[in-house]
Amino acid sequence: MTLFACLLTLGVLLGLFAPRPLRAAEEYNFAGSAQLDYHYVASGPRNQDVPGPSSTFQGFTMEAGLKVAVDISDHLSANVKACYGCHGFDIDMAYFDYRARDEFNLRVGRFSPSFGAFNLRHDPANHMLSDKPLPYDMGRMLRKGDWNNGVLPSPFPSSGVEIGGSHWAGTTLQFDYALYAVTGFKNYNDPHPTDLNFQETHLPYFVGSAVRPATGARLAFTARGSATVDATLGASGMLGSYDLKSELTYVIVGADFALRVQRTAFRFEYLLRRQQFDTQNPDIFKYAIAERGGDFFTKQGAFAEVEQPLSSLFDVTARVDGMLRRGNVSNLAIGSGADAATSLSPLAYRSYVIRETLGLECALERNFRLKGSAEFWQFSYPDSLGQKTALSMHVGAVGSF
Amino acid sequence: MAFALLVSACAGSHVDEPESPLPSDERADYAIFALRCSKCHSLARPLDSGIDDDEYWRRYVERMRRQPASGISLADTVPILRFLRAYSRAQRKRKQAQMEPPADDASAPNARTPRVPGSR
Repeated sequence: MTLFACLLTLGVLLGLFAPRPLRAAEEYNFAGSAQLDYHYVASGPRNQDVPGPSSTFQGFTMEAGLKVAVDISDHLSANVKACYGCHGFDIDMAYFDYRARDEFNLRVGRFSPSFGAFNLRHDPANHMLSDKPLPYDMGRMLRKGDWNNGVLPSPFPSSGVEIGGSHWAGTTLQFDYALYAVTGFKNYNDPHPTDLNFQETHLPYFVGSAVRPATGARLAFTARGSATVDATLGASGMLGSYDLKSELTYVIVGADFALRVQRTAFRFEYLLRRQQFDTQNPDIFKYAIAERGGDFFTKQGAFAEVEQPLSSLFDVTARVDGMLRRGNVSNLAIGSGADAATSLSPLAYRSYVIRETLGLECALERNFRLKGSAEFWQFSYPDSLGQKTALSMHVGAVGSF
Repeated sequence: MAFALLVSACAGSHVDEPESPLPSDERADYAIFALRCSKCHSLARPLDSGIDDDEYWRRYVERMRRQPASGISLADTVPILRFLRAYSRAQRKRKQAQMEPPADDASAPNARTPRVPGSR
């Protein structure tokens, strides 16, 4: 795997520094981005002395990705993207698209299956704020250990096959669909799994031992009100199992809405995950196992945001997002492989987090931008310092080519 | 409230118009390109892609058009491609002019690359 990663990186770098006309003639397109972000948590919660597996990334974090897209013919294209971020090194994309027609595309390989609207913009060069909305958070949120990240941390590459397509009704209505079967999420490391282990899903080797693949679908309608106004409404669903015996299931459903008026964008998304867990060892849970419905928790998340260009240099973004978790709480660190609780989770049977963000982006060059944002956090439970609120700030720079 | 006032005060002031005005036909094409392509990514992506081959632009735009909820109809690809091809032609002329030895003003190539502010 390490050798493969080195060869891939070398290949991408060679392509990057090849003369541009040569690359264009070969119909290869290299693209990439890198974001360096500094996260400062002005007030608690601290990432020290907090009971349970809580942690917060402060200071510098780096996300980088390199992608090559090849149009092999009118019907066949390939994409490979390597990225380095919250989860270490990963192959975010390695797939072929075979398009028989607009309404039928066959995708085979490793890719993020179609779910929600945000994932298409998950690259830090394609969204205005330093971090992702909470439902899609992958390691940037405060107290991320308590929450085990978002509802569906983005990106979520998996190996499998997807059939999808688009159909335009005239020039005003676009209809998109996707159906897929992929490896899905895992937690093979814990003897009594209580949640998805996202870290394990991103680790090589990209294989799954579960016989039953995760399946899902997405439908979306885009309507144009005028030349400068369009709106998209979408619904997504995914069903899979995550343990070695394929007995513990997860169901993720989502709805999304986006409205664009000229360059002003409003977006809203809602996600819900129903997560079944292993109850064979009741000692690892914070609460007694209920006789009925005691073997799952739900995690809901939503965000609403407005992006407004202010001038040719500045964009401003306002976002409100949050998550709500209901159900029994495991006292095990996810993916630890432990069989006995070592600490007490601070989460309660019902816990929530709400965040309000205001961000400004400045384009120094059209492909080099500065990002700054302030975030106000409210939690339903106190940290070890007794604080339920926190203020954090991001200052970062993102470049793309 | 303050944010709402700020947004409403600034709404519509985003500079889509070139600093150095493009010909009117290119301007209309650019407006469609900017509106459609900025939905998912910054305009720097296509403008700095290094592509200057017309056939490759066609496949590139087709690939983007087929993205879910792209909002790019088949009819939109005509002005988008027209702008990208004009942009590429101007880029090529500019590069050739830079590579050629200095000439007197009368023989200098007329290489004007459209300046596209707001192309983020």
